[in-house]
Amino acid sequence: MGVWSQVVGQPDAVRVLGTAAVAARGLVDGTGTAAGMTHAWLFTGPPGSGRSVAARAFAAALQCTTPGEPGCGECQGCHTSMSGTHADVRMVVPEGLSISVAEMRALVQTSARRPTGGRWQVVIITDADRLTEGAANALLKAVEEPPARTVFLLCAPSDHPDDVSVTIRSRCRAIALRTPAAPAIAEVLRLRDGVDTDTAAWAASVSGGHVGRARRLATDPAARDRRAKVLRIPLHLRRLSDVFDCADDLVKAAETDASEVSGTRDEAERDALKTALGHGGTGKGAASATRGSAGAIKELEKRQKSRATRTQRDALDLALVDLAGFYRDVLVTHAGASVALNHPDHAEGSAQAAGSWTPESTLRRLEAVLACREALEQNVKPRIAIEAMVSAMHFG
Amino acid sequence: MKIRVERDGLADAVAWVARSLPSRPPVPVLGGVLLDAGATDGSEGLTVSGFDYEVSATVGVPATVADGGRTLVSGRLLADITKSLPAQPVEISVDGSRVAIACGSAKFSLPTMPVEDYPQLPAMPQHAGELAGEVFGQAVSQVAVAAGKDDTLPMLTGVRVEMTGEKLTLVATDRFRLAMREFEWKPSGDVEDAAVLVPARTLADAAKALGSAGRSVELALSPTDGLLGLSGSGRRTTSRLLDAEFPRYRQLLPSEQTSSAIIGVAPLVEAIKRVSLVADRGTQVRLEFADGVLRLSAGGDDEGSAEEELPVEFTGEPVMIAFNPGYLQDGLAALHADRAELSFTTPNRPALIKPVNADGEVTPGYLYLLMPVRLPG
Repeated sequence: MGVWSQVVGQPDAVRVLGTAAVAARGLVDGTGTAAGMTHAWLFTGPPGSGRSVAARAFAAALQCTTPGEPGCGECQGCHTSMSGTHADVRMVVPEGLSISVAEMRALVQTSARRPTGGRWQVVIITDADRLTEGAANALLKAVEEPPARTVFLLCAPSDHPDDVSVTIRSRCRAIALRTPAAPAIAEVLRLRDGVDTDTAAWAASVSGGHVGRARRLATDPAARDRRAKVLRIPLHLRRLSDVFDCADDLVKAAETDASEVSGTRDEAERDALKTALGHGGTGKGAASATRGSAGAIKELEKRQKSRATRTQRDALDLALVDLAGFYRDVLVTHAGASVALNHPDHAEGSAQAAGSWTPESTLRRLEAVLACREALEQNVKPRIAIEAMVSAMHFG
Repeated sequence: MKIRVERDGLADAVAWVARSLPSRPPVPVLGGVLLDAGATDGSEGLTVSGFDYEVSATVGVPATVADGGRTLVSGRLLADITKSLPAQPVEISVDGSRVAIACGSAKFSLPTMPVEDYPQLPAMPQHAGELAGEVFGQAVSQVAVAAGKDDTLPMLTGVRVEMTGEKLTLVATDRFRLAMREFEWKPSGDVEDAAVLVPARTLADAAKALGSAGRSVELALSPTDGLLGLSGSGRRTTSRLLDAEFPRYRQLLPSEQTSSAIIGVAPLVEAIKRVSLVADRGTQVRLEFADGVLRLSAGGDDEGSAEEELPVEFTGEPVMIAFNPGYLQDGLAALHADRAELSFTTPNRPALIKPVNADGEVTPGYLYLLMPVRLPG
């Protein structure tokens, strides 16, 4: 199974990247020309479409050492690229809300190095939309004219100037990823995660094209429960006091979701770092090696904490997107349009709502959800923003 | 993996490799050292390696290999353990996800890290030639002092290494000064003349680690690879190269001079230190050369001012020139000589500093070019 199998439901992008990887190999061997390969790429696509996975797979294909199609997924080049330890693949994964100038200056230094393996020095920035203006400017010169064997791969939700500055965007070749089709997601869940066919199909159909979310829904019953709880809210707002209960439920569900996601991840990271710094040895005097490692561990914990804030915000946003999807379903049902619903498993509920609400009031509720997302983006305290939204949903 | 190895060799090897490991590894596996027995290159024995994406370090240790294999363990922990072992043969064996180390009556067990996630160690480039360790160590320290420390221009953070036949040239500049050292070495003749740019910090570290007296250092390099290899007495390191264009510096070196001065380095450094006390950080120290006398001054009418006079052997037109005191001291310290020759053209053209031997002759091979600071008024 090659690295491209990780890139779900993106045949067009895979074709372009595959051609580029072949051309890149030709350049390394000295047999090809520069045609087909580009020094900077911008991966855009909706959340969950696998932008960073696509960038990583491309990086692996560039580092692949197996003859034949680049990107075998088996060789050490592919394996270490995918697991994020390859010497010539530098990955920037912002854990906070923005990427600083200092970080980008250091990255420019890295990008000026020649690749150790004699292939490509790849630099991946997974959320280029979080570059501050200064950071983007620090990066500009390097992205425009990197050394001959350096490739920049930037990922961003969209190529809108608000997300990625025009100056950066105009220096990159764009790869637009689309929302992966439900059958493609179901297929991956079945093959890679061993989910049974029905669950896979269901999870794919309700995930809104978000591969990671579909996987979580398919494999974690608690996540399924929380989603059901969120989607019950619109039809269970009978009294004003329900508003506060529901808002509370919503915030709590997101918090649990986030802490579960970060809990397992944080612990694994901390264990790996502790082992690397000399914890876990037995024998006389082995404990002395752990001295002086507390600082590094504390630093990791600080990073994890700042990431947890982000994870919580993302979890809340996912719940809000679910809600918005429900109101959209209500509108679609009301209009009698024959398009796929966001939540086919809640078709009954949306049909019932379509019967009792006017389209205007449904739209107002949908607007309230979107306004809440914007408020959260501007750092309004989640509980207050959610309570405001739920009361708007109650009155319609 | 199951091997038996001598304690001293192992402890030295692990200590040397662990020294270059990052104290805060960006990814956990980089905090590990790779133990490879019955190594991949076919030689019997154990190799100990570390890598931080920038520099790799590898040492071979003779060992009796009962069962070959690779494993990855924490560098800090292994270094601490091997350091404290008694002087007896050490047995290392891998058992599932742990490594057992037995030496005499001491027994240790270490957790392993995922060896399949460990990055591919860069291969040593082609052998290019060799030179004496202390010459190399000194040359690198003399040149690296002029390399840029800020990260804005990658090409200025490197030391350019030029191989031309029997001559090896090292150059570095940060726009305000330039240091160049040329010396003879023994090229192997297998590698064509080449010029590469090595990050100054990593080159200085590697030279310090290998450039001890009495040993020779081997240089491995090929123009197409992205690596510089250095090896000596069983230890091998590779550093990544910078992929950037070094400024064309030869045209900067002044071809003529109108005046020159020979002066003792230590008294001059002392005087600069004293005089620059009144100069705010980064401001200038003025040097006024006339027949037999150098007058140093700093400061001005509004702030504190200081003056000092030193005897000097001066020939040519009297000259008044100003420098950044820090850069001037760096240059004088890098000469490794008791006396220095300073030569000038005009107060706004670069000055040259060269070492002078006991006979009052300029020692060829090293020069430090320093841009003057504009004089007020």
